[in-house]
Amino acid sequence: MVVSKPVVLVTGASGGVGRGIALACGQSGWTVWIAARRQEEGEGVAREVTEAGGRGCFVPCDVSVAESVESAVATVVEAENRLDGAVHNATSALSPRPVRLGEVPVSDLRDHVAVSVRGTWLLARETLPHLLEAQGALLLLTSEAGFEGKAKLSPYAGVKAAQRGIGRALAREWGPKGVRVNCLAPLAASPAMESAFELDPEMADRVLGRNPLGRLGDPALEIGAAARFLLSRDASYVTGHTLMVDGGSCSVT
Amino acid sequence: MAMGASALDTIVLGTPVDEARALARALSASWLELPPMGAGDADWQAIRERVTSHAPCPRVVLAVWCEAPRPGPFVSMSPDAWLARCEAPLIAWSVALGCAADLCADEGSIVAVIEAPNSLDASEWVPESGVSDAAQALVRSVAHAEGPRGVRANAVTAPLRLAPSQLVAPAPPLDRFPGELADEVAGAVEMLLSPWASGITARTLAADCGRA
Repeated sequence: MVVSKPVVLVTGASGGVGRGIALACGQSGWTVWIAARRQEEGEGVAREVTEAGGRGCFVPCDVSVAESVESAVATVVEAENRLDGAVHNATSALSPRPVRLGEVPVSDLRDHVAVSVRGTWLLARETLPHLLEAQGALLLLTSEAGFEGKAKLSPYAGVKAAQRGIGRALAREWGPKGVRVNCLAPLAASPAMESAFELDPEMADRVLGRNPLGRLGDPALEIGAAARFLLSRDASYVTGHTLMVDGGSCSVT
Repeated sequence: MAMGASALDTIVLGTPVDEARALARALSASWLELPPMGAGDADWQAIRERVTSHAPCPRVVLAVWCEAPRPGPFVSMSPDAWLARCEAPLIAWSVALGCAADLCADEGSIVAVIEAPNSLDASEWVPESGVSDAAQALVRSVAHAEGPRGVRANAVTAPLRLAPSQLVAPAPPLDRFPGELADEVAGAVEMLLSPWASGITARTLAADCGRA
């Protein structure tokens, strides 16, 4: 029996952790669709996936817009005739911006919610029929911020926690259908983290000072590999779980 | 009511639903009404301004609840249902907790009462599970931000209206599950508001008769 390699879609994969997940899947020969707004960067990551041994493709996608997610998923399924896994990694560009909760413009709160949480719903809604057919998996990128809260990144902490709550409950709802749902909480060397460190100069000491391994994770080798595991058949009995890939940093799991 | 507290010491910031007002009565607290779920940006900004001009209060309780929640499969919700069950409550909790931080006096205490489906019973309550986790993370964020001025922030979770009529086995240890707002839930709130909890912050207490 020939078992074909999985086909997965990763949102927000034009850079950072999403790119790392895409590359890790590519290294195992998987077909990876980069679903992102930035076409040039997304096509670049798709080429990297192909160079890594997989097959990379780009599809434009704004995860906060129903028609865009619908079109992106339809494009993938039309081309591949299947979808084994979907990863929601995209977050608001406002994520690393430090701000006091009482002073966050309501429009900014809505942007956080639209990208992280509405994006989760839209991606789940559009991919479920195909994940059902493939008995596949949905993976949501959350954060240690969603466990412990963040004094200066409250909106980010809130939406990341929302994704974890959704993932845990959705695993219970989709489990009888044979579709798994998990979350992954990375601490990665990414452009978003670099930006957060620049905007809050004390943040690097706070983040790394408590980290037993004393460093940020590699987006492909460490974060991506863990994501690939959760998407793969090797994790066929893992659902409703949040895997911390944070070097032991978060103390409240 | 907490030791030595009076109605003037405790404010419930609540959305305009009967259950939230009932909590204020159970706590003998004064009432400051938030806009309804789904309010526009101008309404949320207006409540922020109102809170800013309010005298600081030593005990602030939040009851940010929607009208008559109904379960349903995650992916078959209409866009309107999605907004009502998830996005609107997320915005409401975010603004309300910011207001609570602004309203709470130095050395004061904030308790958010969060309707939370237990994990075992969470199927078809997926948006509500997300909102519950988000509200708890926001409470912890406020605890971190306001802790340096002595403010504590904690959460009480309870299934309340989200408790299913048919439970997934095993049964909760206490057969009075899901408990009563005026008894189990108000009691947990009063404990966290009281000086007995002076070393407790950034925590969630599940008032769910052991279901969790």
